[in-house]
Amino acid sequence: MIFAGLPLAELAAIFAAVGFGVAVLYVLKLRRRVVAVPFSPLWERILRDKEATTLFSKLKRLLSLFLQLALLALLVLALGDPRAAESLIKGRTVVVLVDASASMQATDVAPSRLGVAKAEVKKMIRGLGGADRMLVAQMDAVVTPLGPLTGDTSSLEREVDSVVATDARADFPRALRFATDALRGTDRAEIVVVSDGALGPAEDASGPVHMGDAKLSYVRVGKSGRNVGVTEFSVRRYPLDRSRYEVMLELTNSGAQAEDVELQLLGDGALVDLTKLRLQPGERLPRFYPQLSGASRTLEAKIARADGTHDDLAADDHAYALLPERRRAKVLVVTAGNTYLEAALLLDEYLEVTEVAPVPPQAYASAMARGGWDAVVFDGVTPAELPRAPALYLDPRGPGGPVRVEGVLKTPGFDKIDRKHPAVRFLALDDVNVAEGHKLVPQSGDKVLGASDRGASPILVAGTRAGFKFVAVGFDVRASDLPLRIAWPLFILDCLNWFTDEDAQYLSAYRTGEVWRIPLGGAAAQALVKMPDGSTQPVAVHDGRAVFLGEHAGFYEVSGAGNPPIAANAANAADTSGGRVAFAANLLDAEESAIAPQDRVVVDGKEAGEVTGFHFGVRREIWVYLLLAVALLTVLEWATYHRRLTV
Amino acid sequence: MTRTASSTGVLASLSSFFRRAPRRVEGDEQDLFDDEFQRKLEYLALVSRRVFSGRLRAERRTKKSGSGVEFADHRDYQPGDDFRTLDWNVYQRFGRLLVRLYEEEEDLAIYLILDTSGSMAFKSDRGAAGTKLAYAKKIVAALAYVGLANLDRVSIVTTSDRILERMPETRGKARIFKTFRFLRSVGAEGTTHLGDAMKTFVAQHKRRGLAVLVSDLYDPQGFERGINVLRYNKFDAFVVHVVDPADARPKLQGDVLVYDCETGDEREVTVTAKVLDRFGAAYAEYLAGVERFCSSRQVPYVTASVDVPFDELILRVFRRGGFLR
Repeated sequence: MIFAGLPLAELAAIFAAVGFGVAVLYVLKLRRRVVAVPFSPLWERILRDKEATTLFSKLKRLLSLFLQLALLALLVLALGDPRAAESLIKGRTVVVLVDASASMQATDVAPSRLGVAKAEVKKMIRGLGGADRMLVAQMDAVVTPLGPLTGDTSSLEREVDSVVATDARADFPRALRFATDALRGTDRAEIVVVSDGALGPAEDASGPVHMGDAKLSYVRVGKSGRNVGVTEFSVRRYPLDRSRYEVMLELTNSGAQAEDVELQLLGDGALVDLTKLRLQPGERLPRFYPQLSGASRTLEAKIARADGTHDDLAADDHAYALLPERRRAKVLVVTAGNTYLEAALLLDEYLEVTEVAPVPPQAYASAMARGGWDAVVFDGVTPAELPRAPALYLDPRGPGGPVRVEGVLKTPGFDKIDRKHPAVRFLALDDVNVAEGHKLVPQSGDKVLGASDRGASPILVAGTRAGFKFVAVGFDVRASDLPLRIAWPLFILDCLNWFTDEDAQYLSAYRTGEVWRIPLGGAAAQALVKMPDGSTQPVAVHDGRAVFLGEHAGFYEVSGAGNPPIAANAANAADTSGGRVAFAANLLDAEESAIAPQDRVVVDGKEAGEVTGFHFGVRREIWVYLLLAVALLTVLEWATYHRRLTV
Repeated sequence: MTRTASSTGVLASLSSFFRRAPRRVEGDEQDLFDDEFQRKLEYLALVSRRVFSGRLRAERRTKKSGSGVEFADHRDYQPGDDFRTLDWNVYQRFGRLLVRLYEEEEDLAIYLILDTSGSMAFKSDRGAAGTKLAYAKKIVAALAYVGLANLDRVSIVTTSDRILERMPETRGKARIFKTFRFLRSVGAEGTTHLGDAMKTFVAQHKRRGLAVLVSDLYDPQGFERGINVLRYNKFDAFVVHVVDPADARPKLQGDVLVYDCETGDEREVTVTAKVLDRFGAAYAEYLAGVERFCSSRQVPYVTASVDVPFDELILRVFRRGGFLR
């Protein structure tokens, strides 16, 4: 036994001083209330019998003194904080990883898996030993420690209460690495995973996680795995008919029994399609909805059981998507007349084409100066200065072009094509015949999309000038058979789509649990995100993109704090008037939808054991029990005093 | 242990020095004998005749009406009265039939002995009624009135450990106001020693008669001695024991120092419910002892509880017998 509080000598001094005071108080005669009576001999008569009990009264008084001294002794001992010597050096250091992934929202156990997990952790906290220290961390797409390593049970319980479930999957390897780092160098290290076990393998890009000497324990939460979820959901407009769109989704039944579900497709909140489906156990059912119309902005997929009830996990029963904005792109064409070009531009009804003649140059220069163009096409014309808009140059020759033009190429061809670039992706340009062209000299950072002479003479170059994209074609298309091919209109439309960033990088929905980079446009350093629950949160902006980790499914809105977007080339549904970008986010994770609790968790080849050593009410801090004894004795004395047993 | 009981010599004198001094309580009950009280007295005087007339009429009439020579009083005519005693002059003037009463030479002497010791003025917190002294004064006034109305010689003395004050013998209803004045001036003071006081009383009053002792009988030397002195000296003793029910269960709790309001004797007591029960039993035993003593000596005895209306108590005295003859 050692004293962690005051030393023994001080305790003895305190006891002696206060004990002396108590004894003096007992020696002092009790000051009695003085009361008159009409005839004292009557009192004499009854007190004559009481004389016999005086000795017993004195004994009781002595007992009372001893009781007070005992109370004092207990209090003084509590001040000393006595502890068993071994408990000081054998305290455990425990990191509790509370799974807050989407599957923990399952309600197969009341109130939810996360609720049960919190209760389990609280039980452990109440069973902490006096020398034990604990750290509680929330494990979802990231791992968040909720407080420091501490033995303070009340603060630990508050930390547990602050755990909130997310719509993301848990990053188990990252959480384990955090826990092992936190426990490095501590004695009796222990990691407790409180989860339903749907965590995946404990390895990441840097390899499997090694636990070292830390003991791994697993508290299993959940009992059944009956769940049907939306595991894929995507939507896009048809490039040539933007009033129509197609939807692809996938439903997964991760349960062990067949499920009848009702799938609702909602466009702008109104029902677009209702389908009743039967999914066999473990079945993944893709559904494709072509040629849909009626929605202009939002699309939602909802599933429910055919009998109207919900399955155990509601988080994956609802998926969200946003359609790209339907907007006419304004295109300025500077040409002396090119039927092929005009015909290609006519194919897309969502292009608003304005033609100007190249002569006199002031005419198209003033049109360019008006601004507001989504793209400019120069057909055989090179402007004196670069336009403040993305531009397609057909056969540029003058000094104001984006690239330098060198010698004449006789019958060049597309010997080398960059097939990954969005402007030429999926186009068959290999056998295009060109009578004559010019060699283009790209600058640093430009991309050669097509080159002749086995790649030595670039004839198709893409890049960025003054922040605006451009594509330059090194020959007059009328001196080739390209306009006669299907590739020609596709090339024009691909270039314009690339300029406006439509389709190529469009994401109808982001996945939760990932770091999102939302293109904003403008130079704001900070943006405000409106969350699905209506709250707002400031996020940082890097390279024109709002960057943050999203953990909840639903519709979001990002608005730049300060400058509005300067162009409409932002991805997704950009609302240029208000400077806002809307987007959707979904869980869409078949593994997370498989909510059947796992019996085993294996890390580093070792299976996690059961939690042991947390015994409720057995704290090793003896002062607590000393104070309890004081309280008990006080209550006892109070009761006996008021029942007149000790007076 | 009682501090004073066993103390002697210097210790006793020191003890008596520090003893709490008994207080004198002045008779300040100005409205004690108000109009309402006097109306009740009249009623009681009538009732005393009506209720007990059957038993007492013959003796009283032969003694009182018309047999003497000195006119004393009038009273209403009642069937059976001798027509010769009717006062025709009054009938002529007022139309009322009144009988003339004459003083009887062998009239009765009634001595009303009022205990005015300190305990008679004691009033506990619990008690809702007034003090025993106030109640006793009413009883004495009522009995005096009835006695005066019956043309008896009524005398009042106050006593504690000796005879304090004395209202000389008187008779006739008109003297009741003198009685009131006397009683108003009486206060409570001193210790009780009925034995010594009664010895003085019998020495001062040679004429024997009815001696009504109105007291709480809180006599440390024993109440029996006083009553016995009266009995041994041929007085017809009548005991009206004034009690306050609040005395039976005092409002005490915890550690207290009780002191006697008369003697100042102190005693440390830790009062519990059990102790209070025992005190209540001792008090009841004390009352029973008084009654037992009186009945065994054929002394008429009435318990006068202060929470009983005094007129009701007077009727009880009448019923008990011995006061009216």
